[in-house]
Amino acid sequence: MTSDLAFDALADPVRRQILAVLSETDECSAGALAEQITSVGRTAVSTHLRVLRVAGLVAERRAGRFRYYSIDPSGSARDVLALLNQVFRSGLLAVNDAVPAAPEEREQSA
Amino acid sequence: MSVLTLTAQEEVTAPPHVVFGLFGAGAGAGWVFDALCDRVVPGAAVTLRAPLDPAGPPVEILGRIGTLRPGRLIEIVHDQPWRGRTVLRFAPHGSGTRVRLQSELDQHGFEWLLRRRGHAVRNAPGDDPALGLLTSKSGPGSLFAAASDNMATLAAEEINADGGVRGRPVELVVGDDATDPTTGVHEARRLAAAGCRTILFATTSATFVAVSEAMAGTDVLLVQTLMNEGGIDGRLRIQLGERPARQLGAAAVPLMRAAAGKRWFLAGNDYCWPRSTHAAAREVLPRLGGRLVGERFAPLGTTDFAAVIEAVDRSGADVVLSTFVGADAAAFQRQCHEYGLHRRTLTLAPAMDESTLARIGPAATEGLHSVSGYVESLGTERNTELLARYRARFGRWAPPLSTLSESVFEAVHIWRAAAERAGTDEPHAVAAAMHDTRIDLPRGIVTVDGNGVVEQRLYVAEAVGTQLRVSSSG
Repeated sequence: MTSDLAFDALADPVRRQILAVLSETDECSAGALAEQITSVGRTAVSTHLRVLRVAGLVAERRAGRFRYYSIDPSGSARDVLALLNQVFRSGLLAVNDAVPAAPEEREQSA
Repeated sequence: MSVLTLTAQEEVTAPPHVVFGLFGAGAGAGWVFDALCDRVVPGAAVTLRAPLDPAGPPVEILGRIGTLRPGRLIEIVHDQPWRGRTVLRFAPHGSGTRVRLQSELDQHGFEWLLRRRGHAVRNAPGDDPALGLLTSKSGPGSLFAAASDNMATLAAEEINADGGVRGRPVELVVGDDATDPTTGVHEARRLAAAGCRTILFATTSATFVAVSEAMAGTDVLLVQTLMNEGGIDGRLRIQLGERPARQLGAAAVPLMRAAAGKRWFLAGNDYCWPRSTHAAAREVLPRLGGRLVGERFAPLGTTDFAAVIEAVDRSGADVVLSTFVGADAAAFQRQCHEYGLHRRTLTLAPAMDESTLARIGPAATEGLHSVSGYVESLGTERNTELLARYRARFGRWAPPLSTLSESVFEAVHIWRAAAERAGTDEPHAVAAAMHDTRIDLPRGIVTVDGNGVVEQRLYVAEAVGTQLRVSSSG
């Protein structure tokens, strides 16, 4: 990935939204993506996906007449976004460890 | 500016008010909720220790609490290592809570993470004049450098709105030395490769000295903007900022008078600026009637100062000269206060700045003094205007200004004036034009003589809460 191309690709709010959606899932079909990106039509979503693909930010997989998209696993953007997602998720997962026992449980154990 | 919003969500088995109460409580609730924060109120300083570097120590995300809706929402507005907002939302979910986190990542943050992860990020030189800023966006120095990037950005935007340099817009390129001289050398070389013919340094002197040596023979002008010990020669080396001997000369007598005692203990981080400042103290203080009763150094990045504090206590010192910087200065001061040292001693910390004071917290700054050419509360007309423009541009929760960060704003303007005068951004010509000048800045009149020695008015200031208030000037 050349970073200049990636930053041009990131300059558009719809493309950033697409990346944000993809960074939360492993893979997403074109149809499912278009359902989540409601600010523009399906054709526009396809155009944005092409820009992201050329910039090396997004990978495309074809299965029959369906297309699936994911953040390019070979790209450095994937590495950074995956790291952030994992770090934020692990941060929230740990909250359960600190939750005090529910009152009724405390009564039972007392 | 492109901003990517990242989202994470988890369900927690306790009601929203309980989960909300875990934030900042140090309850072992993971790095997000275990944010370091004295009080969860709007405006309070907050530090998130994010495990963003699996091989290294956590990366400190420094910011303040913005909007707060008890039981529902916590907004953290952060400035280091990148500007953005992280928002936690709490919603009832069955008998528990759904916690949703949204965090903004701008282009600078994205680039910073790419570099930190070892990916090559290309910076091709453009056609317009590029100005480099090397600052500390991570490591202990990220605290004192919190507003440096903002200050350079504001100055560059103002210059570009006013016609740029010789009619061309200035491009600001920012590097992060991670408060480490070796990283600083790599980053300075990257800035030079990106076309920066002048690089401003808002880092420790350790980085400035290392880069100065590593880039000897390179046609790049290196300018240290903030206080320093001087001593770097060369036509392409300029060290602006306050010097230790003059700072001590201005502050020693008022401090001894306030402390009603003359015994000094010198304590600081183990690198060139603290060592040079202590050397100046050994010369200046006895001349002014002071007596030295002890000295200790601790490496940059120290978190436990118990041994130093006990040595200060045993020495019977009246005044501590503290040359700790950044996160170390914050930790040292908090631990001194906890120990009760402020009841027996005053502290003079020449590099104490307002963003470090915000981390120390209003309760633990008693007895702390600084000496510098600028404090945020300075009442000059130019400073009042600067603060208004800064807040309008970066918002009410942006970090406070200090002599360390404001020096960056001034250096950008000094550089621009010199480039205009020289009629080029060629480094030798710009360096020559930065000498023998007198410029009216937010801190007042600053002169640079033919040898590059800076003259400015110095203020002795006392910490009042998290502000520095001028107590005398010289």
